[in-house]
This record gives sequence, C-alpha cells and structure tokens, in this order.
Amino acid sequence: MTAGPIRADACVVGAGAGGAVVAAELAEGGMRVVVLEQGPPHDPSSFTAHPPQMLARLYRDGGQTLTYGTPPIALPLGRGLGGTTLVNSGTCFRTPAHVLERWRTEFGLELDEAAMRPHFERVEQSLSVAEVTAELAGENAAVARRGAERLGWSHGYLRRNAKGCVGSGVCAFGCPTSAKQHTGITYIPRARAAGATILTGADVQRVLVRQDHAHGVTATIAGRGHATVRAPIVVIAAGTVHTPALLARSGLGGGSGQLGRNLSLHPATAAVARMDHVVDMARGVPQSLYVDEFAREGIMLEGVAGPPGYAAMALPLTGRRHAEVMADYRRLAQFGLMVSDTSRGRVHVIAGRPVIRYDLCDADVRRFRTGLLRLEELFLAAGAREVLLPLPAGVLPEHARRRDLKLMAFHPLGTARADARPTHGVVDGALALHGASGVYVADGSVVPSALGVNPQLTIMALATRLSRALLAQHGASVGPGGPLDPLPG
Amino acid sequence: MNGPLGELVAAAPRWRRPGMRLLLALARRPRGLALLARVSPADQVAHGLLALGRYDDPARAATLGWDAEAVTARGQALREAEGRP
Repeated sequence: MTAGPIRADACVVGAGAGGAVVAAELAEGGMRVVVLEQGPPHDPSSFTAHPPQMLARLYRDGGQTLTYGTPPIALPLGRGLGGTTLVNSGTCFRTPAHVLERWRTEFGLELDEAAMRPHFERVEQSLSVAEVTAELAGENAAVARRGAERLGWSHGYLRRNAKGCVGSGVCAFGCPTSAKQHTGITYIPRARAAGATILTGADVQRVLVRQDHAHGVTATIAGRGHATVRAPIVVIAAGTVHTPALLARSGLGGGSGQLGRNLSLHPATAAVARMDHVVDMARGVPQSLYVDEFAREGIMLEGVAGPPGYAAMALPLTGRRHAEVMADYRRLAQFGLMVSDTSRGRVHVIAGRPVIRYDLCDADVRRFRTGLLRLEELFLAAGAREVLLPLPAGVLPEHARRRDLKLMAFHPLGTARADARPTHGVVDGALALHGASGVYVADGSVVPSALGVNPQLTIMALATRLSRALLAQHGASVGPGGPLDPLPG
Repeated sequence: MNGPLGELVAAAPRWRRPGMRLLLALARRPRGLALLARVSPADQVAHGLLALGRYDDPARAATLGWDAEAVTARGQALREAEGRP
C-alpha cells in the first residue's frame, strides 16, 4: 500500500528531546509540521512500575542496546513519543560555561552563555524545571548528602523537569503520575495543538535531496505503508545512535569523514552501601543529589536508585552473598559515578543496524578508579557499615582494569558533531548539514564533546535555538512579542 | 519463556534472543552455573537477569517494602484527580 505524498513546511524525524522541541516551536510559529516517530505513543495508565516489563515496553531493544569493546557498555535508549526523555532521570543542567568556551575555540561554535540563556530559560519554563526538595529527595539522597557534608565536598540538589512529583521512585520505568515533564506530554501536545501531524510507527528510510536541497523523506508508516513527506525543511532528531545511520543511508553528511565518529557516552557505574538504618531507596526521587567536587577532573557523582528488581540486577554479587545483601534491601543506599569521557567511539552501520564500537581509554580507566575510591569514601563518611563497589571479588578500585568495570551509559553524543568547518563537522554552528541545504540535525549527535553533565537541557536548548532561527529565516510567525514570545497557555 | 523475563527477552534484538534463553536456562541449573562462571561476563548477564526477575516478583518485593501496584494505583489516582496527562 502506498499513500500519496504528505506535504509540509517541515518534516521532523524523531519525537524525543530535540525533535519534539522543533516540532512544537515550528508549529506554533505557523509552519505546517509533520513528525515521524518510529516508536509508539505511551499511555501512562499502562505503566506498571515493574522494571522487566517497562524495559521491554519503553526502551529500544528492551533496554539492551550494547556497545562492543572493552568493556561492553549497556546503553539504554528510550523509544516512542518522548524518546529517552520518557525514561531518563529528568535531570536538567545547563551546558557548563567551560564547555561552551571549548566549543567556541575548538569547533568554531558561537554559543556563549549569553546566546544560550534565552533558550535555556524557554525550555526550563516549558518543562517546569525546579530544584528537588530535601523531602522529595528521600533518604537515599540524604545518605550521600551527609557524606558530602562531612567531607566538605561540593554538592547540591538537582534541578529536574518534574511538576507534582511524589517520589514514586521509578523515573526510568515510566512515571506513573505524569509528574516528569518528558517531551511526550509537553512539547508533543503543544505541537499537535498548533496543527502538527504526529505519526508514530514511522520508519524513515531516506532523506530526499535534489540538487543539494532537501525536499522530504521516504518512510514506511504503520497503517499507511510506504509514504513520502514532501518538505523543504527536514530536521533529523533520531538520536545519536540512529541519526548517523539515516544520514548514511541517504548519502548525506559524509563530507568531513566525521559521520558516526566522535561518540562520547558519559560511562557510568554505581556503588551500594549497607547502612544501619532504613533507607528505602526507591522512596523519593532516584536522581536528586549531585556531588560535583571532582567535576573538573571529569568525575560527577549523582544519585541513582530503584525498586528491588532493579537493585538486585545492579548488585555486584552472586549466590548466597547476593541473597544476604538483598534481604537487607531496605537498608541499602546507592550512588552513581559518571565520567566525562575522553574516550571516543564510533557508530557503524552493519546490515542496516547501528553497531556501536567504544573502548575505554586509559585516562577514563583512571577516572573510574578515582571515582570508585571517592564513592567508597563518600559512603564511609556517611556511616556505611559496608560498601559494595561494582568490581569482581578481590579487585581493588585503584587496580581496576577496564575489563573489571561494569558500566552503563545514558548520554550518547557527538556522532554528527557540529563544527563550523565542513572539513571537521557534519553540521555547522546553526545545526545545518554541511553540503546540503534544508537538512538539519537536532539531537545529541550534534553535541561535539562530552558535557560532564546530563545533556537533556543542552539538546533541547540547541533545538530551540534552531527552531527560532528557522522561523526567522523562513518568514513564519515568531509571535507578537518578537523572537522569544510567551509560551502558549 | 513466560512472565516478565519472557517479555524482556522478546524485546531484545532477534539475533540475541536464543543466546539469552540459553543463558537463563543454564543459570537455573547448578551445572549450568558452573559452566557460566568460566565465561564472564556471560554469568554476570545471566545472574543479573535472573535477579531482576526474582526480585520483581510482587510477593518477594513486598517483603522488602516495595509494592509496584500501590505505586501505579497512586499514580492513576493523582492523574485522575488532577487531570494530569
């Protein structure tokens, strides 16, 4: 079955952090927008708070995306309306000033704090970003806070996109209260209300370019079959892992040789502590506190927690010892370690599927050794009677080898990196594809370096900036107040 | 394979599912466990998955103070009471 062409001013591929922002901003600015999202919509009434079920339903490949390399790293990616914003912790950090400065000097991107501030503010307002309160943070965060205070380490409560949170403790498994303001319940409804067409179950095959100018995409859409969307503006926001594959299939973005390269991940791990008092780690916001004492060394400590099934999977023990510690689940505390990686990986496309190659470099191994020692120190200062580090039995953190590390990652970035020079980047500073007009990228793949902080707000602010520029360029309405008119409603 | 782990295996990439089923089948047997212990990280994967399934069981989780059904019921009540999406 082949449907007739769908016509639009702009076609957006992907409804996650970047795509949903572009869709809403362009539609509210008066453009006809079509959004093609590969995954399904997700109804919060179907969220069960059971990790195995929700991993299967909310994540690509059941949350089992893996990198190949030493060590292999689990890279859970959300899928559906909201993308990874549906399943992330909701942490919202602005891009650090030193990172913006690095982007200016190394990549020629004119993105200083002043330029980015209005876009951060607009996204923060849209997502009701606010600091977690001590009450909502819960006892798991309180344990880490006590440790940090006793050690004199810099720390604070995180800012998150949550409104009316009651600390259900399952941010990564579908927020049952719809408190987490993911793009599926914020920007996507705004886009729809402004007239955008949102199509799910849409597999985009190629971006169509004629004489170096975009004119749409081809896709297979559930219920429609093969379809073509004709649009002079195509914004790709399929995510760091899938955007390079789409560009490569379309014969685009290869001029610099950087497509698919420069992958950074923020590899992460976590330690568990046995306390003498009840913690109930899943009561409260799982990621509510940060310790940034070592951020300049590329080591960020952030909260992490979950229900018993999640904790059991994460515990670095087996057999009777595992059972003994799990029987004490209510007295377990957990805290995470994230490395701002200098390792760089690559996304290849093999038999039509992205295959991610990533090996941890020596410098990042050293960061993990240091970070694990700091986690241990944090928990001992907090009064832990035992600290369980994610290492094989008998391996001390200062001697950990890369193959000893049990890692996950949640922030893939960089595979269509922005660089002002067409010889060094896939997109330019305006997120326009080098070598073809009318094609833009608005997801984590454009971020040219590891951030050291959670990237959601950076991606959404960059997407906002792109949207405002497109509206200004194409003569569409930018609202009565000027470039940053008030948000609707 | 039934139950929550069955759903998780079914969501995995097609080419990986037979291996996951084999890992889980081995990990449920003493001899299988011994074999897997020689093939880290396969044993870590198997242990992790089995532990996820075991402690997600509502009866076991209840002994540890966790009630997923209560969490989702509270969520539904809040959404209805306050008109949340």
